[in-house]
Amino acid sequence: MSIFKTALRFIKYDKAKSIGVTSGILISTFLIGQQLGILDYLMALMAAPIDNAKAQIWVADSRTRDANQLAVIDIKKLREVRSVSGVKEAFPLVVSVASATVDKGRTSSITLIGIESPHFNGGPPSDKIIEGRLENLQMDQAICADFFDEKVFEVPIKVGTQMEINGKKAIVAVQTKGVRGFGFGFMYTTIERARYYSNLSPNDLNAILVNVNEGADIDEVVANINATVYGVKAYKTEDLRSSTISTVIGTTGIASSTGTLIIFALIAGFFIIGLTMYSSALDRIKDYGTLKAIGASNNYIRKLILIQAVLFAVIGYMLAFVLLQGFKAGVAGTGLLVNYRLDVLIGIFVVIVTISVIAATFALRRIKGVEPASVFRG
Amino acid sequence: MKEIAKVINVSKVYKTGDTTISALNPSSVSFYAGELVLIIGPSGSGKTTLLSILGCVTYPTGGEVYINGTEVSSLPESQLGKIRLENIGFVFQGYNLIAPLNALQNVMLPLELMNVPAKEAKEKAILALKKVTMEDRMKNLPRALSGGQQQRVAIARALVSNPSLILCDEPTASLDPSSVDIVMGELKSLVSANKCVVIVTHDMRLRPYADRIVYVDNGNVLTEEPKSEYAH
Repeated sequence: MSIFKTALRFIKYDKAKSIGVTSGILISTFLIGQQLGILDYLMALMAAPIDNAKAQIWVADSRTRDANQLAVIDIKKLREVRSVSGVKEAFPLVVSVASATVDKGRTSSITLIGIESPHFNGGPPSDKIIEGRLENLQMDQAICADFFDEKVFEVPIKVGTQMEINGKKAIVAVQTKGVRGFGFGFMYTTIERARYYSNLSPNDLNAILVNVNEGADIDEVVANINATVYGVKAYKTEDLRSSTISTVIGTTGIASSTGTLIIFALIAGFFIIGLTMYSSALDRIKDYGTLKAIGASNNYIRKLILIQAVLFAVIGYMLAFVLLQGFKAGVAGTGLLVNYRLDVLIGIFVVIVTISVIAATFALRRIKGVEPASVFRG
Repeated sequence: MKEIAKVINVSKVYKTGDTTISALNPSSVSFYAGELVLIIGPSGSGKTTLLSILGCVTYPTGGEVYINGTEVSSLPESQLGKIRLENIGFVFQGYNLIAPLNALQNVMLPLELMNVPAKEAKEKAILALKKVTMEDRMKNLPRALSGGQQQRVAIARALVSNPSLILCDEPTASLDPSSVDIVMGELKSLVSANKCVVIVTHDMRLRPYADRIVYVDNGNVLTEEPKSEYAH
């Protein structure tokens, strides 16, 4: 009979307290995992324009910090960028906020993205297209809408659905699933039609997507663009991505609300675990006193308590993991595509084990004070 | 007879605030292999204090304590634990079986603490349970056992590590007469295995089992029976 099995028997014996500790861990883990999963999803939405475009370099107005808020730049900049050393190809992108109304449905704001045909660089990822092809955008009034837009417009959106964008007729010719932006849903069309819907001049665009020559150093090309093209700023994709996320997080309070909830989940979990383990230790004080009397060292008893704490953490974490997967599956149908990154899951596990072990010190301190002679006092 | 435990001028004083209570006045007494000794005295006389000091769970205020020839009164708690584990078996008034562990696991516990391999510990524990005729209840948790059965498991736990000294604190206080006979019969059988069994008790029914009686009265250890209600 190992100390591990003894610890497990202590846990199994005191079912009510064990359920209490496990629930504390489960609730903390679930809340932390849920919040981080949602934050990860929101961050993916914040960076969606960048992630979807799959370019190596973004060029935008020189004051740009957030890819969701792109000022208008002149089409001449596109030609200038194309002439910069190291640039293999550069594509224009129009991004504007528009109002869309579906027949018998609601009116909602959308982010309308115009991409250049026939290559459609900067368009939605092909693996997320569930109906139609991007080439369909070359048809009259064609747009690409997302499956989850039906949640916004409250009517089914599919290929063939007609709508008005800023009062102008549009027809869904391509459908994606899960291509969404932070704030508004994305709709794609050709760059000319995007300008038409948004009342922009043929000389207007909002960003230039750049890929570099094979073997060229991206940092060097970014520096070349910044040195030679006035009034715009070139970013490595990952730099604009992190700038976008930090800008949105910094200006929306998402970080503070998520952080506050996580901190409270940790505090609540810590005290639920700590006080329940302490209470359990009080219930078992005679057993621990007996263990000491018959010769168990303080180190053995410390290990016995800490193994229980780790077992509680592992059991609670596993149950919470199942619940988190259930939450993920449950909200996926609403378009909330929560993702739990492996490093986040490992981090939560480490945090939960740590708070369980630290919380066990309440019990350890109490049991440390038990004298072996106490067993002779009835 | 081999001397198993000895206290020389051992005393215990408790201080609570400004109050000093002398629980045990300087006393000397020895205990030998192959004897069952009763420690008898009124409540508060100091007999449990003497047992605690003998059991190395309480440090004496003064004097020396020897267990199998080793002076233990100045050893740190970490070493006393080892002394207890290897030399002393305890039987408590309230049985003190570990509630979450079944009878077999309770009896295996001292061996686990001594790092005896699990298989060997299990064999020895089953043997110890057989000695107290509890092998058929080895899978039962303490709460499923009667008081007498729990005490027999406690005796098995006390003897499984083959200690030379068995200390019992009121082992029959909660038992009915038939269980007293069984438990005392088992403790007496340990004496024939050359163990030293020391029993603190109020229970006059145990006198016939004693090879020797030590009286504790008002903190003094006496070898002669004092004139008190504890006389026959």
